[in-house]
Amino acid sequence: MKEEIAKIKENSIKEMESCKDLKTLNDVRVKYLGKKGELTLVLRGMGKLSPEERPVIGSLVNEVRDELNNLLEQKEKELKSEELQRKLETENIDVTEPSKKIALGSLHPITQVIEEVEEIFLGMGYEIADGPEVEKATYNFDKLNTPPDHPARDIQDTFYINDDILLRSQTSPVQARVMEEKKPPIKIICPGAVYRSDSVDATHSPVFHQIEGLVVDKHISMTDLKGTLEMFAKKCLGENTKIRFRPHHFPFTEPSAEADVSCFVCGGKGCKVCKGEGWIELLGCGMVHPNVFKYCGIDPDEYTGFAFGFGVERIAMAKFGIEDMRLLFENDVRFLKQF
Amino acid sequence: MKASVEWLKEYSDIDVDTIKLGDILTMTGSKVEEIIEKGNDIKNVVVGKILEIKKHPNADKLVVTRVDIGTEEVQIVTGAKNIKENDIIPIAKDGAELPGGKKIVKSPLRGVDSCGMMCSVGELGLDIKDYPDQIEDGIMILPASYEKDLGKDIVDVLNLREDIIDFEITPNRPDCLSIEGLGRETAASLGKEFKNPRKNLDELEVENKKEIEGLKVDITAPDLCYRYIARVVKNVKIGPSPEWMQRRLKACGVRSINNIVDITNYVMLELGQPMHAFDINSIEGKHITVRRAKNGEKITTLDGVERELNADNLVIADEKKPVAIAGVMGGENSEIEDDTKTVVFESAVFYGGSVRKTAKKVGLRTEASSRYEKGLSSENAIRAINRAVELVVELGAGEEVPGKVDVYPTKQKINKIKLDVDRINDLLGTNISKEEMISILEKLDIKVENDYAIAPYFRMDLEFVADIAEEIARYYGYDKLETTLIKAEATLGVRTKEQKIEQKIENVLVDNGLSEIYTYGFVGEKDLEKSKIRKELVDNAIEILNPLSDDYKLMRPTTIPSMMQILALNNNRKNPNVKLFDISRSYRNINGEVEKGEIPLQENILTIGMYGDDVDFYTLKGLIENVLESSNVNHYDIEKEKNNGSYHPGRCANIKVGLDVIATIGEVHPEVLMNYDINKRCYLAELNISKVVKYSKQNKKYQEVPKFPAVERDIAIAVDEEIEVGEIEKAITKKAKRLLKGKKGLEGIKLFDIYRDEKIGKGKKSIAYSLIFRDKTKSMSDEEINPVMEEITKELEEKFGAILRK
Repeated sequence: MKEEIAKIKENSIKEMESCKDLKTLNDVRVKYLGKKGELTLVLRGMGKLSPEERPVIGSLVNEVRDELNNLLEQKEKELKSEELQRKLETENIDVTEPSKKIALGSLHPITQVIEEVEEIFLGMGYEIADGPEVEKATYNFDKLNTPPDHPARDIQDTFYINDDILLRSQTSPVQARVMEEKKPPIKIICPGAVYRSDSVDATHSPVFHQIEGLVVDKHISMTDLKGTLEMFAKKCLGENTKIRFRPHHFPFTEPSAEADVSCFVCGGKGCKVCKGEGWIELLGCGMVHPNVFKYCGIDPDEYTGFAFGFGVERIAMAKFGIEDMRLLFENDVRFLKQF
Repeated sequence: MKASVEWLKEYSDIDVDTIKLGDILTMTGSKVEEIIEKGNDIKNVVVGKILEIKKHPNADKLVVTRVDIGTEEVQIVTGAKNIKENDIIPIAKDGAELPGGKKIVKSPLRGVDSCGMMCSVGELGLDIKDYPDQIEDGIMILPASYEKDLGKDIVDVLNLREDIIDFEITPNRPDCLSIEGLGRETAASLGKEFKNPRKNLDELEVENKKEIEGLKVDITAPDLCYRYIARVVKNVKIGPSPEWMQRRLKACGVRSINNIVDITNYVMLELGQPMHAFDINSIEGKHITVRRAKNGEKITTLDGVERELNADNLVIADEKKPVAIAGVMGGENSEIEDDTKTVVFESAVFYGGSVRKTAKKVGLRTEASSRYEKGLSSENAIRAINRAVELVVELGAGEEVPGKVDVYPTKQKINKIKLDVDRINDLLGTNISKEEMISILEKLDIKVENDYAIAPYFRMDLEFVADIAEEIARYYGYDKLETTLIKAEATLGVRTKEQKIEQKIENVLVDNGLSEIYTYGFVGEKDLEKSKIRKELVDNAIEILNPLSDDYKLMRPTTIPSMMQILALNNNRKNPNVKLFDISRSYRNINGEVEKGEIPLQENILTIGMYGDDVDFYTLKGLIENVLESSNVNHYDIEKEKNNGSYHPGRCANIKVGLDVIATIGEVHPEVLMNYDINKRCYLAELNISKVVKYSKQNKKYQEVPKFPAVERDIAIAVDEEIEVGEIEKAITKKAKRLLKGKKGLEGIKLFDIYRDEKIGKGKKSIAYSLIFRDKTKSMSDEEINPVMEEITKELEEKFGAILRK
């Protein structure tokens, strides 16, 4: 009997080893370990053995069965792994084939600049204010210390609807509106479209965009203005950006300044963008004129404030290397998709 | 304002080069627009003498010359016709540079070496009008006396070197539209003494008379004329002005005419006060009246153009006619002629606003009017006229008649401003001592007495402490101002609800493949027609008084034409699959607001425009649904719109919240497409963002994720083609709601198939739905659902004549 068991063991291991797939392996299992399997039959035939032999043969059969089970399990693992390997090989793909996606659209470069600026000033505690584009002349001019006969009304060739209503030539009227509505402290920026009677060419457009800033509180100083703009310039144009103030004149600020930034293309060495000067004229700014406060119902003896304003297109053009302003308003989708 | 550095040097020592000077003045507020360094573009051009002229061996039209250029003799080949031996001429040597960047190098000409070039007036960048003895297409022949300068630089010999700075003068500083004003800024900026070469004018007293040489003056419009001074010079000899004066005028961009006219211009440039000169004989009755023009009164100005005036315009008139438009331009009728013997000088100050208006009306902006419109000092006017008379005498152009006729009804106010040191430092963020402040102000001729800064007569712009602060800051140095951060109450920087929604919408659209565009708010009448905009909107359009063109005449009452233009452009350029959006405004004058001086309606509109293979009405609809969902607008109806002219009548819908239309979407009307030459279907949507904000409800609450399974039942029905699926769905929902209460309900309706075939019949369609039911407390049984399905089927049969398909 022992020989018979040894034979079964030997045969089954041989068969097991020659198995190439899970099905044949299972057949082997059934053949030897199934209900009618050869080893099972040996166990069943144990009744014929003497009581002395029975435990010996019994434990031998169990031993062999365990061993075979282990081997089967191991073989099964091997075969499974081989099978998976084959499957994976058939599922090989070319990862460089085109993707499936909804192509993203794009935000216009003007919006991108505006939103970048907005984020910076939101972070500094500013609110974003808005006002009408078809505006009253009083807000666009009079309340900004630019009375009807003021020469500045000539400089900014304005589109008029009638004597009282015009297309705002600057975002500054929003300042006046906010000052009338709100008590200080006021910290706002106002982005928006403005209109000037310029014909369309590579650097002019009758519609363009400005961002205006206004801060009103007690003890606001010109060094605060410079510090604020420097921080803004560093965040918007790069940490190494330097800022330079030059005296200037605006009817609604006194003292007034024009602010230049070190060229963010060449870093101040001089290039095409800064016309070799190393500086780019960025914005106009100054301390709110006492008359503006007076006209907008804020006491100029109690409060001071600063204001600044700049053109968005110029920054967008310099930032993205766009040389012709017309491209911004032409809206060719091949242009738009680049941003 | 152009100023030659040579002239500025009369006012201040200048020990820096012109570029540096420009930088310094820019930083103190006189911004340099351009620096012109005349003569700098001519290099290595010297005086030479022709020693010999020989025929060229290989060319009939060329000659070979030998030229003495001081240091050596060189051979030059030239085609010039007007030269002869011993002529003194400008020679561009080997390596020379000429205006316009031309470089001269030694090279053979038809086989003979030429070591330079003889120059014409034009090649030296000079104006032939300044050298009347020379010919235009020949070599410049210098007088024989220049032989002593052989080999010297032509720039020095002809005195061509001149540095000119062109300043951008801000409108508050008309005093800097003069060499004197710029000279004062220069001295202060360089820390030098202001030399004040015209100091004599401040002390000069001229007797005021009722009349001189029979000339009288009256002002009948003192609101527009603050001062009018006349002085007379006689035995005048009209002729050219001296070279030095012509040169200075030219440097400032003024053409020389004759000595008297040049003096008026010279004084204007020197002192900033426009001057005028009349021939006394052309003043009828020798009586000048400064008055308002009569409506329709005409005058021919010095430029030979007849101009019509009205009562808003101020004129200088004699007893019969206007002889000048005050502050703008003189009349031809009183012009200085070659035989003029007695000249009346006028130095007057007019109300700037009126001059500006008049100049605009007659379309003449002159050197004079651009100064007047900024407001000039009456105290400077007397200095100017005395200076003019002084120059006449100095130039020997005539004799002074003593006395003046000076009508000065409104004395110029002198402003005194408190020198509030603390407030100035508070405003600037500085810590400047009082002494330093005073010393800065005194450099600018602003005296400080008893803590008050006294604005000099030429600084009418100084009114407030802030103005004084600016003067101090300018000379303290803007670049010395520190950078500080606001020390104040913290404020919150957050976007408003509308701003947040707008940004969200942008993101949804970009994620869905749309590109943002920027359009002008202008449209033309034609655009509204092309887009078939309905009449009520067209009537709301706001007209611009002074548009750039007819295409930009109206503020758009709807954004559709703007989007159509951009779609057309992209289609025209053969760009496939175009998906665009624009968030911008429409402008509508609904109740005549504009005429009442009120602000018209300006709404923020999202406009979508698309065409391409992957786009149809339902993609657009899905897009808008996503936009609304992202904006938290959850309850709205979609209703067919057949009467919007811009859209296809069968493929257009309004999206409504209650009765309020918040959006219109649809396919563009084929006629509109034709008008824009677009050969493919386009889709448009307009969404009113303010209304989206109004209906946006942010009240999301967690609902338990269901524990029990849902039951899905399919139903297929055939109905007439006209019946909208929206109606069917509404009916199903309503019925289910009535039948199932409490925790039970119809959770969803999924339309999964619509088809048409002969079996169903013409004019009919088959619609298949999955209805999803759920009881939150347990699994639903067939016994519960079957009757509900039966009721729903019955309802559909009754309401829509639906036939249940099995």
